[in-house]
This record gives sequence, structure tokens and C-alpha cells, in this order.
Amino acid sequence: MCAGSLATVTKGTALDLVGTLFRLGLAGVWLVSGWVKASDPNQTYIAVHAYDVLPSGVVSVVAGAMPFLELALGVLLLVGLGTRITAALSCLVLLAFVAAVAQSWARGLSIDCGCFGGGGQVAKGDTRYPQEIARDIGFLVLAVWLLVRPRTRLAVDAVVGRRGGV
Amino acid sequence: MGGAERSARKRRQNQAVTRTAPVAAARKAGSNRNPVIVGVLVVVIIAAAVIAGVIYSNSKKNSTESAAIAVQQVSLSVPATRDGAVVTVGKDTAKATIDVYEDFLCPICGEFEKTYGPQIEQHLADGTLRVRYHMVNLLNDRSDPAGYSTDSANAALLAADAGKFYQFHKSLFADQPEEGARGWSKDQLTALGNSLGITTPAFAAGIQSGTYNQQITDAYNQARSNPSLQVDIGNGQTGFGTPTIAANNKTIDTSAPTWLTTLLAN
Repeated sequence: MCAGSLATVTKGTALDLVGTLFRLGLAGVWLVSGWVKASDPNQTYIAVHAYDVLPSGVVSVVAGAMPFLELALGVLLLVGLGTRITAALSCLVLLAFVAAVAQSWARGLSIDCGCFGGGGQVAKGDTRYPQEIARDIGFLVLAVWLLVRPRTRLAVDAVVGRRGGV
Repeated sequence: MGGAERSARKRRQNQAVTRTAPVAAARKAGSNRNPVIVGVLVVVIIAAAVIAGVIYSNSKKNSTESAAIAVQQVSLSVPATRDGAVVTVGKDTAKATIDVYEDFLCPICGEFEKTYGPQIEQHLADGTLRVRYHMVNLLNDRSDPAGYSTDSANAALLAADAGKFYQFHKSLFADQPEEGARGWSKDQLTALGNSLGITTPAFAAGIQSGTYNQQITDAYNQARSNPSLQVDIGNGQTGFGTPTIAANNKTIDTSAPTWLTTLLAN
């Protein structure tokens, strides 16, 4: 019985540590991609425009908002505040990114996703749609983990609500 | 007496219980309320970041709204005549003629002008070179808001009608908006013309109405489908791009710095 509860504690600790790594990892992803986009708004506009989904007035707003949405998600994950809701929003944003890349691929556009800066039209043979989608799905795994099990170490959530996460 | 004392003690005990109960209830409610507060806080933080971000990006984009396009004067006295969407600059007696396809928003065109503009200007002045400028609107949807390529090309053609094409063209490339950024507005283009001494009402009215917009689009479509203007765009594919320089119906590779002297020598 003693051994059993010890094993449970150890397993819980291990899961907490994995969650912590995932939380900080996803925070890093959002902070880097948000920062790169925020520091070159013109390039971000070109990147969003290249997906050829939105009317240009909306492109302008989306290109203006997206970097700061990413930065906000990054900061919240970094400090571990509202991990569950932040993870849920991260999932939505990542799914939207995957959908955007997938529609470009399906329609035969030749663009760079502009995920971490850059973006816009590229030569026909230079597209990397499978890799871009695979990378986003990798990030999605981190977000889903935190959505299901938001309990992590070094998080504001642990101080606010003892049960960790919302 | 004894009974009353007992019942009084019991009452106090009951009071003590009811007194601690609300605290426990509040504590319980508090642990349920925290997630809600955190959720609201997260939504507020994200909304604030997004709104502040949009305002910041917009104000950064619109920072050129009150600016004036810097004026570039030239001391070039060669004819410049407009025919459709093409402006021919230089003397008829020039032994070489080149076709230059440019978009006022295209950054590589800006670099081309910066690198070779002075050389071209010098050969225009000494009468050895004639240049046919084709201002295309390839990047029309790459400014925010869209439309700068067409507006600027149209304004340049109207400037040609007023005898100020070369200065106008030079000024727009010297003070070029970035792709994805706000282009110069129609009013700013008009103001540039005014600074260059264009006072005809037709100029300002033509910029507003887009006199040559259709001709510019037609000329661009023609150039785009012209087989002799296709260049290598990487990966073994060809296409039309800007800047494209051509002479005698053949494109010229301008990556070699001596391309113009080579052309004029032959």
C-alpha cells in the first residue's frame, strides 16, 4: 500500500514535470512567433494576404491582431495563469493555422506559411505544406496535453487555485 | 436554573456553529469562484493585448499619413512622351532603346533605380540612351490598403502629360513605401505633382478618377503574357516579374554591373 501511493505520487510528479515542460515550450513557441510577427507588421500583412482567404480590409486587422494574440498566449503560458483556458485558445488558433495552410495546399497556392516570420508567395517547388502542418500538429499536442491536464509546476495557477488551472 | 444554564450553553454552541459555517461556505465558494475569476482575467488580458496591438499596428502603418513625398528635382532636358501606358524618355537619335518594366511598390525596382538610375540619367542626358518606361500594377494588392501600384502608375502617366514624368518617377522610387505598408495616398501623389510644379486641374482630377487605370492593367496583362519578357523565377520556371529590362525584344540580365555599358558599346 505504501509502495502503491508512493508510485502514484511519483507518477503525478512526473506528469507535472512533463506538463511544465510542455507549458514552457508552447509559451516559447508563441513568444517567438508573436515577436517576429510584431516586429515586422508589413511582412505579416503580406503573409496573411497570401493565404487569399480574407478581404483586404480584414487582412489588415487580422495581421495587426495576430502577433499580439500570440504574445498574450505566450506570456500567460509562461507565468502559468489560466493554463487550461489558454491551452484551449491555443488549440483553436493552431487549428485555424492548420486549416489556413491546408486550404492553400488544396487550392494549389504556392506560399510560405509565415509561421515564424517571412511568408508570402514562393516559387512553385518551394512550398513546405506537409512540414508546416506537421509542426503545427506537434504544437497542438502540447496544447491538448495542457487542456486535458493543466496542472504544472512553477505556475501562478498553483497559487491562485490549489487545484491548478482553470 | 441548571436546565436554563444548559440550554444557554447549547444556544451558544449553536451560535458558534452557525458563526463558523458562513466562513466555511465562503471558503468553499471561493475555491469555485477562483477559476471563474482567472478565466475572466485571461480573456481580459488577451482582449487588451489584441486591441492594443491593433491600435499600435494601425498607428504605425498610418504614420506616413501626414508626411509629404520627398521631391527629387532633375536637370534633365530630354523629351518625355506618353503613348498609352508607356512613357518614352530620351532623344529620338539615341542609338539604344531599353524597355523598363517597373512597379512603384516593388522593392527590387527601388534597388534597381538606386543602383542604375544615375547611370541611366547620365546616358539619357548625353543622348545615347532612350528608355521606354512601362509602369505596371503587378503588386496592386500588396499595399495596405490595396491599390498603390495602380494609383502611382496612373499619377506618373498624368505627370508625363504635364511634362514632369522623370522627376515624378524618381521621387516615388527615392521615397518608396514598403510592400505590406500603407502606400502614398492619391492626395499625397497630387501634392508631389504640385511640388514639382504641376498646376493643371486635369492632373489632380485624373489622380482621383484613375484616368489611365484600365490602360495600365491592360498593358500589364499584355506584358505578363509576352513570351519574350519571361524570365527565370527559380526552380526551372519562368514568369514575368519586375523589374524587367529588355532591349530588342530580349530581356537583359542586370545582375552584371556593366550591362548598360555593354549594351551601349554594341
